[in-house]
Amino acid sequence: MTPSTRAEGACKNRKEELVQIGQPDPRAYWKSLEQLHGGQKPSAEFAKGLPSAAVTRTDDTRRDFLSLMGFTVAAAGLAACRAPVQQAIPMLVGSDQIVPGVSSWYATTCGGCPSSCSLLVKQRDGRPIKIEGNDRSVLFGGGTCATGQATVLSLYDGERLRGPAWKGQSADWRQIDRHVSESLAAAERSNREIVLLSGTITSPSMLEIVTDWSKRYSNFRHVVYDAISLSAMRAANEKSFGRKLIPHYWFDKARVIVGIEADFLGTWLSPVEFARQYAASRKPENGSSLHVQFEPGLSVTGSNADVRVPVAPSNLGAVAVALLRRIAQKAGMAGFPEGPEPLADSKKLDAVSEELWRHRGASLVVSGVQDESVQVVVNALNAFLGNIGKTVDTARPSLQRSGDDAAMAELVERMNRGEVHTLMLHGVNPGYDYADAGRFLQGLEKVTLSISFSDRRDETSSHAHVICPDHHFLEAWGDAEPVESHFSLAQPLIAPLFNTRAAQESLLMWLGNDTSHYSYLRSFWQKNMFPHQKEAASFDAFWDRSLQDGVVDFPAKSAAPAASFHGDWRAAASGIIDRQKQQPASREDSYELHLYESVAMRDGRSANNPWLLELPDPITKVTWANFAAVSPQLAQRLSLSNGDVIALKTENARAELPVFIQPGQENRTIALAVGYGRKQVGKAGNNVGQNVYPLAQVSNGFRRLSALNIALEKTGRRVDLAGTQTHFSMEGRPIALETTLADLSKESAAGEEHKATPTLWTEQPQGEHSWGMSIDMNACTGCSACVIACQAENNVPVVGKDQVQRVRIMHWIRIDHYYRGSEDNPVSLHQPMMCQHCGHAPCETVCPVLATTTSSEGINQQVYNRCVGTRYCANNCPYKVRRFNWYNYTENPKFDFNMNSPLGRLVLNPDVVVRTRGVMEKCSLCVQRIQLAKNIALQGKRELVDGDIKSACQQSCPTQAIAFGDLKDPNSRVSQLMKSQRYYQVLEELGTRPNVGYLKKVRGSAVI
Amino acid sequence: MGILAVCLGGALAAWGLSRVGIHQGYEPVQPIAFPHKIHAGDNKIPCLYCHYAARTSRHAGIPPASVCMNCHSLVEKQTVEIEKLKEAVQDLRPIKWTKIHNLPDFVYFNHSQHVLSGVACQRCHGPVEQMERVKQFAPLTMGWCLDCHREHAHVPVAAVPRAISTVAKNFNPVAGLDCTSCHY
Repeated sequence: MTPSTRAEGACKNRKEELVQIGQPDPRAYWKSLEQLHGGQKPSAEFAKGLPSAAVTRTDDTRRDFLSLMGFTVAAAGLAACRAPVQQAIPMLVGSDQIVPGVSSWYATTCGGCPSSCSLLVKQRDGRPIKIEGNDRSVLFGGGTCATGQATVLSLYDGERLRGPAWKGQSADWRQIDRHVSESLAAAERSNREIVLLSGTITSPSMLEIVTDWSKRYSNFRHVVYDAISLSAMRAANEKSFGRKLIPHYWFDKARVIVGIEADFLGTWLSPVEFARQYAASRKPENGSSLHVQFEPGLSVTGSNADVRVPVAPSNLGAVAVALLRRIAQKAGMAGFPEGPEPLADSKKLDAVSEELWRHRGASLVVSGVQDESVQVVVNALNAFLGNIGKTVDTARPSLQRSGDDAAMAELVERMNRGEVHTLMLHGVNPGYDYADAGRFLQGLEKVTLSISFSDRRDETSSHAHVICPDHHFLEAWGDAEPVESHFSLAQPLIAPLFNTRAAQESLLMWLGNDTSHYSYLRSFWQKNMFPHQKEAASFDAFWDRSLQDGVVDFPAKSAAPAASFHGDWRAAASGIIDRQKQQPASREDSYELHLYESVAMRDGRSANNPWLLELPDPITKVTWANFAAVSPQLAQRLSLSNGDVIALKTENARAELPVFIQPGQENRTIALAVGYGRKQVGKAGNNVGQNVYPLAQVSNGFRRLSALNIALEKTGRRVDLAGTQTHFSMEGRPIALETTLADLSKESAAGEEHKATPTLWTEQPQGEHSWGMSIDMNACTGCSACVIACQAENNVPVVGKDQVQRVRIMHWIRIDHYYRGSEDNPVSLHQPMMCQHCGHAPCETVCPVLATTTSSEGINQQVYNRCVGTRYCANNCPYKVRRFNWYNYTENPKFDFNMNSPLGRLVLNPDVVVRTRGVMEKCSLCVQRIQLAKNIALQGKRELVDGDIKSACQQSCPTQAIAFGDLKDPNSRVSQLMKSQRYYQVLEELGTRPNVGYLKKVRGSAVI
Repeated sequence: MGILAVCLGGALAAWGLSRVGIHQGYEPVQPIAFPHKIHAGDNKIPCLYCHYAARTSRHAGIPPASVCMNCHSLVEKQTVEIEKLKEAVQDLRPIKWTKIHNLPDFVYFNHSQHVLSGVACQRCHGPVEQMERVKQFAPLTMGWCLDCHREHAHVPVAAVPRAISTVAKNFNPVAGLDCTSCHY
């Protein structure tokens, strides 16, 4: 036996022993399948044996060592004799707005996706460094998502174009304007079309510019294309309510929520807003709502549901029909078409429809299935349940998705027929994400002039004649109307970094209108917004206030009541049933595909953002790749294990991806995340994962995110995935706790108060404050916005796939995903975990140099300049929250991410030190924010009050799951939460006295 | 004799090493020979008139040239040095001053916190109003910081003359002794 295998064996035995301590409890949580089946295998890092110390013997002697050391000391002494001369260059002309070292905050609107969340952005010394939610927004309420948090890094992306380009050569704007104007004139003469192909535009002022174009050019058309479109829903709503719209949903008003494949807490339509509403409806104090989710793969939304039913994509429509049949019966509607039951257990559907019917007018059925009939059936469900106008708002619709699949398909055909003269591409990348990207690019070649507003040479713009790079949204003026009559303004936080120009300005210029975009926007608001308000007397006052608040809300445009449902639900239902019947009986070796947007990558537009690439997926915790999620049963049948590469084939596409065995995955369905596999996005994102968009099937003119009759082949290759699910195991101890609504009402009668365990140590802390945190696991959805918020605030480095595989990810806050129950359909729980700031911290007693101690205010402080890197503290930490800098991650070409370029380093927070190699780091409870708040209180000559300080994770949380404050103030929110019946501290039996506590997850009473 | 020499040498080396990185007395030549003595001393211009950022920011800040021009566009006296300033303003060329007080990156020092707590500028910077050319007065070591912080850990900074009168009457902040007061 070699030394390394011996070490592995010992390690394995010890782990098995420890796991068994936690095994007997049937309610016990598990994190990986290996753990569930007993005997946790060594983590991926040690799969091939413990890495040996790799000391190669050389002929170095002790004498050499001493002489080298002597030289080092001398060299250090000499080097230190003269410090480098530092220069300070003040501004030539002072500004009353920018004081060096003082941050200012500006309201703007997020451009990360069409949800258009309202933001407050922190600007420091002239550069935006942190994105936060704008809590004046009635829609988004101060929350953000992971993608939104990361957009600030995209501003400093080195792959952005430095200026406009004409046929591959850099050009100047005047030259380009001349060429384009000439070409447009030719287009008018030729009577071929001028087309603007854009993503969803939520900006009313930009839509006005589009209208100006159609007035000026009779041959102008605007086509909206979304990679992830809801066009089937829009089409169905035209048939159901007489208007092509996406309704606005009110999850907070719903007591029963049924989701049919719609990840509304993770990625679907407006996740920040929906997560906020959802958390409000799930408060156990008010008796939580019931949430049932039918979906093929485990999504963030599914992981939060009370009841989750895995359903194959081809069967989702039948589930909606089966629900409608029951509801129609209850509503006394006759003539419902007969059909087979979609689920083996039809009682489940009986119970769901019973609950829906019981909560008529306070229930909600949503579906993201790209199928017109399914959407009509869902509309009928909501209509019969009386939800229209209550939880489904059609009078004030959402404008966050307006893509039209049919129009896009038609455009591609017309391009191929040579009917399009000029094509302008704004915010789209069909060369990458269109179902038939090849056909689109063929058509693009037949266009006389193609103009792209893309910020880089991507899969589409590299084929365009002209690239007129648009500003990043943090450099631009703008506005948005995410939901009708709710407006949000956008203002620049920084002068454009490169020679870019707002797309709106280019469009105006080519219309012959040389006003700046800013003045166009202002006059648009003066004409269209100002007359609708009464508070401000002058437009200037109205504009200044709107800009400062960032948001303006007006009453709904039409006072008319919501249109009543008049869709042909019988025909839609029988259509679904017929299709189900015609479907060939599924063969043993044919499978279904389910494509989904991952929380990190979404549709792939931010694919060069290293923060997002390294964000562990909320469900699988895999980083730096997409994968084929298969169910444990299927994996067993085909003897697949994690990392085995399989080939998936549809009629016209093929993709090879590594397998990831996902508990809760539907048995015959393989789930794949879109947004990966970009070829031309930048050095961080190129060739990370596989592009699976081509696998999507088009049916009835709508691109569905699913496919039938997939052939699966093993390739025999293996790829190691970089997942963090099994990192930092707490060895089966009771970490994540839950309770039930019934138990909660029993316990509240007892009125038991949280008591600390006795201790022999001196009581901590002794200062004026005691900073603490409370995390509500019932509100946490696992969306991971806090992870990126923390990374941005605290200069947490990106380490790359290889280092993640070695368990060296640096995030200060992680979200542990626990499963309970059978692997076929387990229950999930998300637990954010960061330094618990123990009063009697195990890390402190083992540090030989006192680099970590408890502060007088209860913070477990890590002093980087004192740390010598023994890593004893990390080993002794029961919560596994300490992170070690194995390398210098700054200015190190081996870690060629944002911190290796002067441009990328502009995002760093100057109030937090960048750590060097060899030191330990961890959550500091955002001590820089505490110090800042103290200083602001001092400037205002007042005491600190509760709410002055918000940690970065707390601020970003859309569901307000995190509370931070002074535990010594009995009235602070965090002290109040400590009295909750659900409050507990993780591993408090160890006597660590953490300052961070948790509120137990509440499981609804099992009615289904 | 030899042993004594080795011991002495060792002690000297140790002392020398312990002074590494301390630049007390550092007095670099500046691009414009700005005399603090004339401005802060003879003409009694308050420190915070030019270094206004010290009230609100972690940086005291070197005043923008436009602040200099507040007076120098009116003051008639001309010297070679003032000429340099005016040229810089005319040519829109920022002035590259040499920074004197340098703290390591892992220390967070906030001027406003100290100014608002009533610490006089001279306490750390020495008698700047008497200096023709500014030099580093204090060693700026952690021990030196802590000497003062320990003294005022429970007693507010009241004994020293107050830099400005904006300190709250009933609000007496005391100096922190936690590592995270300065290191994060």
